[in-house]
Amino acid sequence: MLNQGERPKNLYEGFREKLTAMAGECSRVRRAEDIAAFLIPFFRENKIRTVGLAESPLTRAGGLRERLQGAGIKVTTDNIRQAAPGVEAGITQLKWGIAELGTLVQIGTNVDQRLLSMLPPLHVALAQTSELVPTVAEALRLIHSLPEIPGFVGFITGPSRTADIERVLTIGVHGPGRFLALLVDEDVREGE
Amino acid sequence: MADQEFKGKIEQALDNSTLRGALGRFGEFYEKAREQVYEGYDFQALRDQVAEVKSYAASHLDEMLDQFERAATARGAKVFRAETGEDANRYISELALKHKVKSIVKSKSMASEEIHLNDALAAKGMDVQETDLGEWILQLCHQTPSHMVMPALHMTKEQVADVFTDHLGRINDPDIASLVKTARSELRSKFLEADMGISGANMAIAETGTLMVVTNEGNARLTATLPRIHVFLVGVEKMVPKFEDAGCILQTLPRNATAQAITSYVTMVTGPTPVYMPDGSVRDKELHIVLMDNGRRKMYADDKFKKTFQCIRCASCLNVCPAYQLVGGHVYGHIYTGGIGTILTAFLNEEKFAENPQNLCLQCGKCAEICPGRLDIPEMILELRTRFAQKKGLPFTQKFALDIVANRRLFHSLLRVASLAQKPLTKGQPVIRHLPMFLSGLTEKRSLPAIAPVPFRDIFKSIPQNIKDVKGTAAFYAGCLVDFVYPKIGEGVIAALNDKGYKVVFPEGQSCCGAPAVYMGDKPNAKKSAMLNIEALKAEGVDYVVSACPTCTHALKDSYPALLSGDPAWEERAAVLSRKALDFSKLLADLGGLPEGGDGLPLKVTYHDSCHLKRKMGVYREPRAHLSRTAGIELVEMYESDHCCGFAGSYSIKFPEISAPILEKKIKNIEATGADVVAVDCPGCLMQISGGLDQARSPIKVKHTAEILLEKRHRQKNQKLS
Ligand code: SF4
Repeated sequence: MLNQGERPKNLYEGFREKLTAMAGECSRVRRAEDIAAFLIPFFRENKIRTVGLAESPLTRAGGLRERLQGAGIKVTTDNIRQAAPGVEAGITQLKWGIAELGTLVQIGTNVDQRLLSMLPPLHVALAQTSELVPTVAEALRLIHSLPEIPGFVGFITGPSRTADIERVLTIGVHGPGRFLALLVDEDVREGE
Repeated sequence: MADQEFKGKIEQALDNSTLRGALGRFGEFYEKAREQVYEGYDFQALRDQVAEVKSYAASHLDEMLDQFERAATARGAKVFRAETGEDANRYISELALKHKVKSIVKSKSMASEEIHLNDALAAKGMDVQETDLGEWILQLCHQTPSHMVMPALHMTKEQVADVFTDHLGRINDPDIASLVKTARSELRSKFLEADMGISGANMAIAETGTLMVVTNEGNARLTATLPRIHVFLVGVEKMVPKFEDAGCILQTLPRNATAQAITSYVTMVTGPTPVYMPDGSVRDKELHIVLMDNGRRKMYADDKFKKTFQCIRCASCLNVCPAYQLVGGHVYGHIYTGGIGTILTAFLNEEKFAENPQNLCLQCGKCAEICPGRLDIPEMILELRTRFAQKKGLPFTQKFALDIVANRRLFHSLLRVASLAQKPLTKGQPVIRHLPMFLSGLTEKRSLPAIAPVPFRDIFKSIPQNIKDVKGTAAFYAGCLVDFVYPKIGEGVIAALNDKGYKVVFPEGQSCCGAPAVYMGDKPNAKKSAMLNIEALKAEGVDYVVSACPTCTHALKDSYPALLSGDPAWEERAAVLSRKALDFSKLLADLGGLPEGGDGLPLKVTYHDSCHLKRKMGVYREPRAHLSRTAGIELVEMYESDHCCGFAGSYSIKFPEISAPILEKKIKNIEATGADVVAVDCPGCLMQISGGLDQARSPIKVKHTAEILLEKRHRQKNQKLS
């Protein structure tokens, strides 16, 4: 297909560059169990003590809930509708990453996962490095190749933003004011 | 013609320094930022895709709607087709009543503003909250959007703080970050309470029944996630055939709208998804999709306006519009603003609301150059103008002037008389306005044109054309300004073409090209001019028809065939003329350009692109090349060289208050280059810019490229000869 811009040589580097340009944060760890090792000091540094967690293959493989709890962080995994507006961070796993834009693709059929990606002031999005694709066209093709197009698909590129007052860019209107994409190299697949 | 009330609104907008500051700053930022964000992408190819995808949907509209309805229904959505705005309002209100809805959150939907949905719901006792920050601010202070993408662009943070203070009953500081925070917390509680969400969509995918929403704030995501009932209100023009077709729109919409590679969020909804019900259970929500016509079909059925279906509402046509940049959105009088807004208003609201704003278009073509949907907005505006003129007639003074212009003998003898009578009025200064207009009485408070003592048609006969090896013949079409005001330009054209071995003839019967009639919507007189000139120029007998005025060339090339299409007596002749007509700089380049040469005397030149030459004919490299190849000339580029000078024919007379600040900016950019001379290829621009420089008491001269070439290349020869 035409016009997909230059294919980034290194998908992760391209992704990170684009996402950080959109005020998103981006990091990468090797194994699922490293997620906790990364997040615990990150949360400590940012004084985050309560998180909402949508369990997913990566969080389970990495024992994320237990490890965070072990580090003294309050982790909520149910009653999300009540809890989500109050927690300091939401952790969810997203699907593909689009390198040309720095975008993560959310398959949001699960309402809890969705609420945790929208309501808390910080959204930590986990994804697999191996699921980075170069272009928007490729991502659309992959979504369309699913058995059916999921009821809710979101492209997320950085935090929520507005420029509606005097065109001054302001981060964090209705959605999270911070967005951290944490890419995991280890391939974790469940039920396959 | 614009009425007094409208003029008053313009005056107010121009006096509003906040508005002008905001618009001006944005305009400057936008153009560069947009260019940058397309780096590495082929915009032309992308817009071709957008145009193809959207025009396919437009020409298969029923099929698209049926397919969409089937797909969405199969996924569990309820689809309602609303013929009119009332139908849509009724359906949504009844739905809300049936489900005992008390509070509603809305993410941005222009369609809902078009049909005053909020009022309809409020009348049923419902609390309706806009949640897009800009829209919310406007809702609180009862204003309409001034921009389609940034609705509150016209307000300052101080004004926003006052609005919040009034609404919340506590002091809000004019600090943007804290204002945004306030909005977040106020609206967050609304989201959590709402029973119903209402959204607009940017695309509706026929193949899959998917709705796509492109946003930055995240309100569309919340609207699609929290309330138990979700209604999408979608104009039928949002149809896109295939899921993958969304790609080209996702690549262009954010880039063109806000110069972003992508917005923070794109939300795609296909059928209902689970939500939390008030009792805490999780069930599929109700998803309703209202596909609304409300005048759209009528617009697409109209051959001249069917391309409006290709509009993706990026609002970039507003961002680059010189008139919009000065007056902002509110003078357009309705929710759709700018050039495209004028057209939408005419069809989706009421035609009469478009009558005044259509006058604001300068026909500079800047919007058409960057429109991702490949809409020719100025052409459509002109069509509107023509229809208004046909329906209501032009004011007497204008009609009178245009009638005279279309009568060659009368017009030319008047010009000759004017040349004698003008002296006391112009003090010998050639500072004039659009030539045919001086007859109309609209030139009050303005200098009359200084008509040249001897018109070019009389000078022509005495110009020797010594060509050794004649390669062919070109007929020179002078146009009013070269013929009667700037005959020297004609001399330059002849000298350059003689150099290339072409003999130049001057067909006597030629007269005004008819552009004034075209741009005022006077089709009968425009046609008259077309026939008269086709007959006079007899293009069949020459190799080329050359003009040194891009507005005239555009008339010969494009307007005549359009005006005479379907007329068997004229169609073919118009086509021949159209093929052979070229603007001076272009013809010279096609003939191989001039060899290196010139007097070598240092001259710093900056080049101003005429709107018609650059955007109607794609000519901008050629004149620069001719100048650069002339020894002594140092070409320096000015900032925004292709921005309109504000002349635009009779525009400078209709809207001097808009034309003047546009010119002022141009003059500043010219002065900043430190050039001795501004080169132009259009005598209209020449007149406008020299008037501006004159007023600024600048020593900088304005000259047509042909004139500069003549002076730098031939005077020298002449001197040597003597
Ligand atoms: S007409 Fe073109 S530039 Fe204007 S809003 Fe529509 S798509 Fe954008």
